[in-house]
This record gives sequence, structure tokens and C-alpha cells, in this order.
Amino acid sequence: MKQQTHFSRMKILLLLIFTPVIIMAQETITGKVVIEGTGEGAPFMNIVEQGTNNGTSSDIDGNFSITVSELPANLVVSALGFSEKVVPVTTAGNITIQVSESSEALDEVVVTGLATSVKRSNAANAVASITADELVGVTPPPTLDGALYGKFAGAIVSANSGAPGGGLSVKLRGITSIAGNSQPLYIVDGVYIDNSSIAAGLNTVSGAAAGGSASNQDNPTNRIADINPDDIANIEILKGASAAAIYGSRASAGVVIITTKRGKAGKTSINITQSNGFTQAIRLLGVRDYTEQRIIDSGSFDNDDLQNFIAARDAGRLVDYEEELFGEEGFISKTNFNVSGGGEKTTFYAGISHQNEDGIVKNTGYEKTSLRLNIDHKITDNIKLSLSNNYIQSSSDRGFFNNDNTGTTIGVSLTATTPWLDLFPDANGIYPDNPSGSSNILQTRDLITNNEKNKRYIAGANLDVNIYKSDHSNLKAVLRAGVDAYTFETLAIFPKTLQFQKPDNGGVGGVSAQGTTINTNNNYSGFLVHNYFTDNNLNFRTQGGLTREIFDQNSVLTTATGLVSGQTNLNLSASRNVVQNRLKQEDFGFFVQEEVNYQDKIIGTIGLRGDKSSNNTDVNKFFYYPKASLAINIPKFGFWSLDQVNELKLRVAYGEAGNFPFFGANSTIFTNTAIAGLSGITLNGQLGNTDIEPERQKELEFGVDLGLLDNRVGLQFTYYQKTVDDLIISSAIEPSTGFVTQVVNAGNLENNGVEISLNAVPIRNENFEWTTFVTFFKNTSEITKLNIPAFNTGAFGATLGTFRIEEGKSATQIVGITPNGLAVLGDAEPDFQMSFQNSLKYKNFDLSFMWQWKQGGDNVNLTALLTDLNGTSADYDDIDLDPAGALGNGDFRQSQLGVSARPFVEDASYLRLRELGLYYNVPSKALQQWFGKVVQSAKIGFSGTNIVNIFDYNSYDPEVSNFGSNGISTGVEVTPFPSSKRYLFHLSVSL
Amino acid sequence: MIMKNIYKIVSIAAIGFVTLTSCEIDEVGDLNGPTLENIIDNSTPGDIQDLMGGILSDMRNRLGTYFDDVGVIGREYYRFSSSDPRFTSDLLGKNRAVLDNNTFYTTAPWGARYGTAKGTNILIQAIENTSPAYTDQEKNGLRGIGKTIQAYELLLNLNLTFQGGIRADISDPENLGPFLSYTASLDAIEALLISGATDLGNAGTAFAVNLSSGFAGFDTPADFLKFNKAISARVAAYQGDLAAMSDYLGDSFLNLSSAPDDLIDGVYYVFSADGADQRNPMFFALNASTAGVRVAHPLYTTDIDPTDNRISKVALRDESITSDGLSGDYDFRLYTSDVDPIPIIRNEELILLYAEANHISSPGDAVTAINLVRTAAGVGAYTGGTSPAELVDEILNQRRFSLYGEGHRWIDMRRFDRLGDLPIDRLAEPPSADNPDGVEEDDVWVEFPIPATENQ
Repeated sequence: MKQQTHFSRMKILLLLIFTPVIIMAQETITGKVVIEGTGEGAPFMNIVEQGTNNGTSSDIDGNFSITVSELPANLVVSALGFSEKVVPVTTAGNITIQVSESSEALDEVVVTGLATSVKRSNAANAVASITADELVGVTPPPTLDGALYGKFAGAIVSANSGAPGGGLSVKLRGITSIAGNSQPLYIVDGVYIDNSSIAAGLNTVSGAAAGGSASNQDNPTNRIADINPDDIANIEILKGASAAAIYGSRASAGVVIITTKRGKAGKTSINITQSNGFTQAIRLLGVRDYTEQRIIDSGSFDNDDLQNFIAARDAGRLVDYEEELFGEEGFISKTNFNVSGGGEKTTFYAGISHQNEDGIVKNTGYEKTSLRLNIDHKITDNIKLSLSNNYIQSSSDRGFFNNDNTGTTIGVSLTATTPWLDLFPDANGIYPDNPSGSSNILQTRDLITNNEKNKRYIAGANLDVNIYKSDHSNLKAVLRAGVDAYTFETLAIFPKTLQFQKPDNGGVGGVSAQGTTINTNNNYSGFLVHNYFTDNNLNFRTQGGLTREIFDQNSVLTTATGLVSGQTNLNLSASRNVVQNRLKQEDFGFFVQEEVNYQDKIIGTIGLRGDKSSNNTDVNKFFYYPKASLAINIPKFGFWSLDQVNELKLRVAYGEAGNFPFFGANSTIFTNTAIAGLSGITLNGQLGNTDIEPERQKELEFGVDLGLLDNRVGLQFTYYQKTVDDLIISSAIEPSTGFVTQVVNAGNLENNGVEISLNAVPIRNENFEWTTFVTFFKNTSEITKLNIPAFNTGAFGATLGTFRIEEGKSATQIVGITPNGLAVLGDAEPDFQMSFQNSLKYKNFDLSFMWQWKQGGDNVNLTALLTDLNGTSADYDDIDLDPAGALGNGDFRQSQLGVSARPFVEDASYLRLRELGLYYNVPSKALQQWFGKVVQSAKIGFSGTNIVNIFDYNSYDPEVSNFGSNGISTGVEVTPFPSSKRYLFHLSVSL
Repeated sequence: MIMKNIYKIVSIAAIGFVTLTSCEIDEVGDLNGPTLENIIDNSTPGDIQDLMGGILSDMRNRLGTYFDDVGVIGREYYRFSSSDPRFTSDLLGKNRAVLDNNTFYTTAPWGARYGTAKGTNILIQAIENTSPAYTDQEKNGLRGIGKTIQAYELLLNLNLTFQGGIRADISDPENLGPFLSYTASLDAIEALLISGATDLGNAGTAFAVNLSSGFAGFDTPADFLKFNKAISARVAAYQGDLAAMSDYLGDSFLNLSSAPDDLIDGVYYVFSADGADQRNPMFFALNASTAGVRVAHPLYTTDIDPTDNRISKVALRDESITSDGLSGDYDFRLYTSDVDPIPIIRNEELILLYAEANHISSPGDAVTAINLVRTAAGVGAYTGGTSPAELVDEILNQRRFSLYGEGHRWIDMRRFDRLGDLPIDRLAEPPSADNPDGVEEDDVWVEFPIPATENQ
């Protein structure tokens, strides 16, 4: 965006040099551009005489002078971040022009190339943009990805659990990969950001993967959570290959381009925002309505249970352990402090934020500190250096939830915890063993540690150089380097006093699992951009560049068991197991792109990206990804006479992108093992495939953008077809080969979808303004070709409901056993999603809210079944599932176990009041009275997240994933950390 | 001046850039372990030792699931797991539940056994290309170990799929052999054992590798051959070839003795608490909860003779335990710590195989053998009839208590066509207002389905 401004200035400068020679009559207008409201001078505004190429820009204080050929003339005043204004001038001399800041104006350009951007009105793709206001303006999100919900069409954002610190999945335009990466590429100020989820080694205790299912059930966070949303100026989302082809082999799941705030020359501005509030569970399931008869009838209880129930009931000692666990109100505090400003040569933005949140379970929480310093410096008029620095330190305590095979996670144990148990510690703090389970949930909650800590430094440098310029052409170079380095530590401690760690109870005497991951991403790129424009405004922009990315990750996880006398140091233990996992990937790519713009009427682009990677078997083989697009702005042709329609753009774009095989896909390797002192090597189950190739995505999108009534109403319609060829699948191979899986290019899938968004300002007058933004999108997928037999994947097998990849069927279908054999029981893909964002401004009050509606999409919910098997389900005795109307839900679900998986596949639709914010802007008059001129503006308000949640789903929240973010196996629930709602109070002051 | 600076900066930046983006990429290779190609084509004896350690270690993979599969269906004990209901539904055929061909209890042990078998094939290939090279005798010894272990692993899988059979030819992942019938599968396993025995017979006096402590006493070619023959005797029993059983038993480590030490003499899976090692998957602490426990089938304690000391294989719980309509008072207590060894084959089984081999041709010898076991158990000499049918009853009865929890009951009842004699715990219920479809009684499965991923 900066480049655009710069470029315009350059053009103007050039014109200023040459125009005096041509111009005969001259009138000089001088004046000052000021910002509406504050009266501050607006620096570097573009001022152009309408209908000509004659223009200038304001200086640092907002002063300008322009010479026009004749009067009256119209001056067009514009700059990024401000509404464009046309000012009629009739006499020469001094004038003052007021301009107003506009967040919408930020939409004007969208980043489409690696080094260039294009005016939104000329873009051939439906690139979604989210401004700072939309991102954090209504309510501050817990993490960055959590702020993307409902903000644009085409993204399915889903939290994996309610544990503090994040853990979200973002999928753009449907499923794009089955075994490979399916999360978008995040780029912050040109730096490729790692978004790994690193497990803390809880599996040692939970044994969750012992059943042979996918191993990462540790519910880790993902690392994009580190980025502080308050520092972000703008996010652009390239949803598929047609927009993102220029990013080549890392773009198949889409690209999220984040631009952080930068300083503006002028007065130093300071903003302090403090938010405090609390979080609480959005829903608790409740306790079964126990009676003596029900306990007698249940296969889960014996006579002791009955007697204990009677005794506890009569003594009034029945405990609601769900409430005890999840009934906490977690305190939230968030402080944000930023300073920005600078002079003509150097500008800066500094952001400091601290966030501290407690979870709804004791001893869980999230704390993050982020420091940012962005500096821009003009070395000369032609060379600009931009630096971005961000240091983040975060810590999250995640509790111990999700699936297990040992009855030890708090979630699974809760299903077997009845109200008549007494699990509270005695006066000496000694917790009793749970007589009917292997763990005491209160003891586990209070004594374990499951902490993730991250220390991260992200830095980017960008050098813009104008190499040469002439009347009809110019050449610019952009050099960019970025580094994302972090040291991530996990600490899981299960002291030996825990019921399930005591050797008497078969425990291993305490577990201390400590992991360290050192991750370094480096990316370098260089581009040349050449502009050539003819007299009749035919522009050619040619660009080419090279990119190189190096990813290096080294994880060491040491698990010590048999802890010595309450110590947690790894060496103070009876035995230790160490696992080290290294990843290294080097990618190299080049790209060339040509854009032709004919008077903003027809804009065409073609481009080609070539990529190679060390993840391929032939590391120096290039894979090529072409793109082409065309946009036609019909009103610009002039034959259009409907004044109400100010924009009608037809657009079509095609692009290809790739997804490299994951690291190690082409090799068959051994890992270590040991047997009673004899060490050994064992195959890790994967048969390597040296013929493996990247997945190739081809996306065709076309659409219409309509702007009515001076853009007061905007409608965008997009249809896309996205195919992924050579799907990389970790295919189950015949186990008699001695291997479990082989990575193969085994098929194609296709996504078809529609995205519609409507923005409007239905009411706008002096006191009241209502803006609304409605999105609708729908995606359907199909496996169009599968070279291997159809297979089940994810979840826990067909008895309980599983995903199935099958030619001719939806990629996200859920199947399960039924009395009539294997049948389709559901589909994880929603029927559609809608969001309704509304903002109402009345005088000094702002009310904003967003409803998000997900219709359809199924989950595999096993929480209810686990509670049934222990006779503890809250709805055990309700009768609404059994078609015969005879069995209670608990008995019915159990009766279907092994017969039909249908009761475990549930509709996960929801309607949520995702965000709500109500703010009062203190009038500047009052501020002046109270503080003089010190305080520029002040705002107080209240906001909330997930305040209203409407769903039929039989658990805490339909938004859940036992298996984390990647692949298709999301939406599987096994006793998760429940989701929460947040209420916050805010005070924001700008100096 | 400005232009000069521009060029300076641009050229410095350009040089730096070209250096950083030099366009050749070096191969990274796999950073996380030795590759298969390396091991097969270019090994050292140290690598072969590691391969051997890996094979012995892999033999234990998913062993707990294997024992639960055969132990639960054989009604030896219940396996309760609050996080996996399928041990009590699918495995016991509760109501209308059936065995799933694509879930852990079917696929995991099956895959693990073939994983070990693959390891033995890699071993047999890799010993041809080592540097320094092995002598022919050393190669024979390694081949003999590999083939014997492979045969044993295949046998465990055949125990699961029974008439469904197994693939015996697995040397080429791209071109796997067909599934063989049960009889042909047993023949293939026998052939592999015979071939291994031949190799072991030409292997000199010592192996070129160390075996685990579970092979203590069986770690020379001559002794390992006795293990090979013991497994062969078990295979012959499954084939119903009593004459062959006698021959194999004669060459095995059969020791007709009632001394407790002699009964447990044999080859074992061993465990340790060491980090990279595995612990005994069949161990649970006493009085474990429904979160994870093995509870002796109530008939074990009902049917056992009051004086039988094999009662010590179960332990009375402080409180009875109930789950999914099943209850028990005794914990499965074959192992008292999580590093106790688990038998692969031991003398007590060989003695009872000896009784079986002789129960028609030489009933007296059969009774002698039975009495060795009975004496050790403290139940006195056998007083029943000596007709083949009566002796089979007695042999099966002794096998039930002597080999409790070691994976035999279900297979024994199956091979004598007596699965119908196994107890049914949850009976049918007629349709009622509560339950219009009624409840079907538990099923005793004959065999596991072939795993879905075998694409049969």
C-alpha cells in the first residue's frame, strides 16, 4: 500500500518536472489539508487536478501548492486510509481542505503479487480483506485465528477445544488435502510464519494413540496464536490457487497475508486500551437424575454404588463434579499500549501488549506478552527501508483433556465420576483415591502441569528501490528478508502422588515430559517491477522475482518416569525415553507476471511460478504453476448511463498451486527400540515412495461485483471450482507387507462453491448510521478419482463413525456400521454458512454485533457414549432418540454400540452471537474540559464473545476436534475442554 | 550523489540476494533414522544386531491387544476399558454387535505380526551384503532365527483369522502372495519352520548376534532349534497330526517333569521399564477400576478344583467390579509387575501337547503327562477314563488352567469344535415394551474377519 502512495508521488513528481514546459496559462492554489475532527495537518496527501495528470502532494504539515491551467478547477484529494474528496476551487489563493479517515478506504488496494498490489476495483479475485476495526474493533479475540470467524465468505474456522491459548483450524474453500497440509500459509509483513502444533507428550500418560488411531490427541495450540491481533492493520486472504498461484507450492490451502500497523508522519499518537472481564463455560451438560431404581437397573453400578448413593443423598453430599470442574469464571485482563509517529524520513509504530487469561478449569490459563517495533526509513527519495520486529513470549496451561485409553484425562475420568463419590482433599491436602475409576479428577486438575511456553522473534526487512524512472516507464526493485525463530517448550508433569501414578495402582511413579522445539524459518526474496504506460493510459506492469525459503525444526521430547522424591528434573528419575524429530526443507522458486491495464476498463494478468523443494525426491526438479485472470469494469467504458450502478465488474481468474509432499514421504526409515537392555531398530510403518509428487491444485473462479448508489450497497458473487490432482494420501497398504501406510499420489478431488457477500449502509444521517455486512457461502466436495481402494480414515473406526475416502463421494463423508452394512451417516461439510455483521452508530454510541450461522455439517460425538457406558449421562433417562420410544437415551446409545454408528454422528449446526460490542466515545468537548488537550479521544465499552449459542448438539459445543487441525479428521469429539464465552469491559484512551 | 548511493546500495543488496537465493538445493535426506536401502545394501554386523534387537522388540508390539482378542473371546477374562467399549461389546458379541474388520482389535495385532515378519525378511536379505561379510554358518544361524520367528508370527495371525487364512508369501510388498486356506496356511508355516530348522542345523555352535534375555538357554543354534521344534509341535497339533507332534516334541525342549521350574522353562517375551522399551501390557494393578482392568471370568474360580494352586493366577478384589452388565470378583493376576515376562512357549504346554500326541496311541503316556501337570497344580492324579474323548476333555481342562491367559483357550475350543461349550454371559431378552426389538444373546466368534486393509 505504501508503494502505491509512493508510486503516485513519483508520478506526480515526474509530472511536475515536465508539465511547466507544456502549460501556458497558470493559476496557483495554496492551502492546507487537515483531518476532520482533530484539525491536524494531513501529510502526504495526493492532490490532483481532476481530469488531468497535474498533481502534487501535501508536505509533512499538510501544506500544499498546486498550479492549475485555469479556474474553476476540481481538486481530487486522496490518500490511503482516507476517503477521496473532490473540492471545487473557483479562485486562486489559500484554501483549507478537510479529509476524513476511512477504514473502508483501506480496501482500495489488495495485495495480489509478491511485490505489488492492485486496486480492489481492478482485482479479478474475490480477495477478502479484514481491517483492524473488523478484527479487534468489536471485541478482542483470544488469538488471531479466533478473530477470523465469520469475517469473510469461504473460511471454515473451528476451535479444537475451549482450552485457553488457542488451537484452531482454518480451512479456506473446502478441503484441499487429505494427508498434506490443509492450513493456510501465514505471511506477516513478508515473513513466512510457522503455524505448527507441537504435542507435549501427554500420550505417554493418556495412551490415547494406543488404540492405533492418529497420534496427536494432545490438544496442542497452533503457533499463529502468537501474533498479537492488536498490531494488525489489515489481513488479506487469498482463498485458493486462482489468487495465490504466485505463492506456488505453499499456496494450495490459501494464503493469509497480514500487514501490521506502521507509523504515520506527524504528531506522535499514543493509545492505551485496557480490557478486563471473565470467561465462563457456554454450556454444561448437567448431572443424571439418579434414583435408587436407576442405579439398580444400570449395568454400570453395583450394590456399593447404591449404598453410597443413598448415604450421600441422605446426607446432602451429592456433588456436581461437572460444575466443580468447569464452573470457574476465568479472569481476563488485556492491556494494549501503542505509540506511533515519526517525521518525513522516519516513521515508527511500537506496540506492547500483555494478555492474561484464566480458563474455566482451575490451573488453566494463557499469558502472552508481545512487543513490536516497526520502523520505516527513507534513505533517499528513491530508497525506502521497512523493518518489522516482533518478540512474543507466551505461556499456556492446557489441562488434561480429550481421548485416553487409561482413564486418566480429566475429561474421560469425569464420565465415570458419580455425585456420591468424595474426591475432595482432606485437611492435610491428601486426595483420596477414586474407588470407581483410575483417577481422581480433582487431584489431577490440581496437581498436574501441562504447560506450553514459547519465546519467539519475528523480523522482516523490506527494501524498496526505484532504480530508474522516465516519462513512460519506471523500474523498481524490492528485496525482502524474513526470519521467524522460536524456542518452544512443553512441560507435562504428572507427580507420583497422583492416583494413577502410584506404583501400588499400577502407575509408573510419576511422569515428567519435557520437550523443546527450536524452529527457524528464513525467507529471502527479490523482485523487479517494471511499469510502462502509454499516452492513452494503457499500462503494462512486468514483474519477476526469486524466492527462497528454509525451514528448520528440531524437536526433542524427553519423558522421564519414576520420579525421585517429588522432583521433576529429568535426571532425577528411574528411566527416561528421548525422541528427537528433525525437519528441514529448502524451497526455491521464481516467478514472472505481466499485467495489462487498459484505462481501468480491462485488466488482464498472466503469470508463472516455478518451484523446487528438498521435500521432492528430485530436489532440483521444477514444478510450474501458471495463472491468468481478467477483470472488466463495465461502467468505465462510458456507454453506461445508469447512475445508480457505479460499479459492475465481471471477473474470471485461473491459477494453479501446489502442496509439497510432507518431509520424509519418500523414505522408508527405521526408528529405535529396545528390549530388556538390547537395543534395536524397527521400521516406522511407512513405506516410502520415491515417486511422490506435489499435489496440484487448479482453481477457476469467476464472479460479479456490483456497486450501487455510490457504493452504499455492494454485492459480490463468486463461484469457484477448485480441483486438487495427485492427492497425497497416506494410504493404508496391506498390513501383510509389514508396513501400515504408503504415501501415494492417489486421486483427485473437486470443490465447488459459491460465495456471496452483501455490504450496505441502509441508514446514514448525521446522528445515526447502520452498516451491515452479510456473507453466505457453500462448498461441496467430491473425490473425483481414487486409484486406491476406498478407505476409512480418522476417528475410531466404523463402529463409532469414521471418515471414508471414496470415489464419487464427498471428501468429508462420515460412514459407520448399520444393520444394513456400512452406510453414509453424515458429512462434516456444512450445508452453508452465513454471517451477519452489523454496526450501528448513534451519536457517540457504537453497537456492533455479529451472528454466525453454520447450517449442517456433522461431528462424531463420543462423549455421550462414554458417559452412557458409565451410567452418568445427563440425558440418560430422557427418551428422544429411540425410534421406538422405549429406551432411555443412555440405554439406546449403548444398545446401538456395535450395531449402528448412527447415534454417534450428530448434526453440528449452530447459530451464535459470535461478537458483540457496545462502546461510548466520550465527546471531545468533555475531554477538553477534563484533560485539556492531553487526551485526544476516549472510549469505554462492553463486549462479549459467544454470548448466545444455539445448537442441538449433545455436548459442550459442536465446534471441537480431538485430533487437532490438520487433515479431514476434525469434528471428532472425545471429552474435550469445554468452550467458553467471554465478557469484557474496555477503556481506551488516545493521547 | 544520491544516484551513486542508490547504485551502491542496490549492488550490495543484489550481491547479498544472489548469495542467499543461489538456486541449487542440496538433498536433505532423512534426518530421523537410517533408511531401509542403507540397511539392506550396506550393513555392518552392528546394524544386523540392531535389526535382531528390533525384531525381538517388535514381537511384543500390540501383544496386549492380541491376548485380549483371544482371551476375551475365549471367555478367560473380561477386559474393561472406560474409554473403549468395544472390548465388552464387539469381542463378546453383545446383542447385535459384530466384529469390525477395520478397527484396532482386528488390524493392530495383525499388522504388528506382519511388521515383525517383514523385519525377519529384511534380516535375511541384509546379511548377504554386510561388511565385513558373515560366514555361511553365521548366515545360516541368522536365517534360522529369522524363519523361525517369522513362522511363529504368522501362526499368531492365523490364530485370529482361522479359516480366513493368511498370506504366507510376503517378500515383495508390490506383489504379495495370496491368502491361503487354513490348512494351506498351516502347511506354509510348517514348511518355513522346517527350512529354518535346516538352517539352524548348519549354523555351527554360536550365533553371530545376541538374543534377548527371553531366549536365555535358547541362544545357540542347537538350543534355538529346540524352540523351533516346540513351535512346530504346536503347529502339528493345530494340524491334528499326532505323529508329527510326537516327532517334533522329541526334538524340542520337552522335559517330562513336574518341578515348577521345569514347567516354566521356555522362551519368553521380556520387558523393562527402560525408556525405549515396553512394559508388560498384560499387567494391571490389583483392584484397578473400570478405566482399565482385566477381570477373571467368574467361571474360572467356579470351575477350578478347590485345592488347585492355579487359583493364584487370579486374585480376589477388594470389591467386585461391574461394567456393561458383566461382573467379576477376581482380577486377572498372571503377572504381578509391569516387567514380568510373558511366555511364548514353555514346557508345561509341551507336556500337555505330549499328552495330546499320545491320547489315542498311548493313553498311558498321556495320563502320565497329565499327572505331571496335575501334581504340580496340587490336584492329585487323574482318575477319569482313558478313552480318547475323555482324555481330550481332561487335556482341554488342564490346558484351560495351566495355560490360562496365555492365548490358548479359544483356539483349543475351536480346534476341538467346542466353541459352543464356552459360557454365554448376557442372555437374550424377548421384545418388551422397554425394548421392542428384544436383545440377542452374546456371540462366541469363530474367527476374526480379514482386516479391511488387506483388500480381500
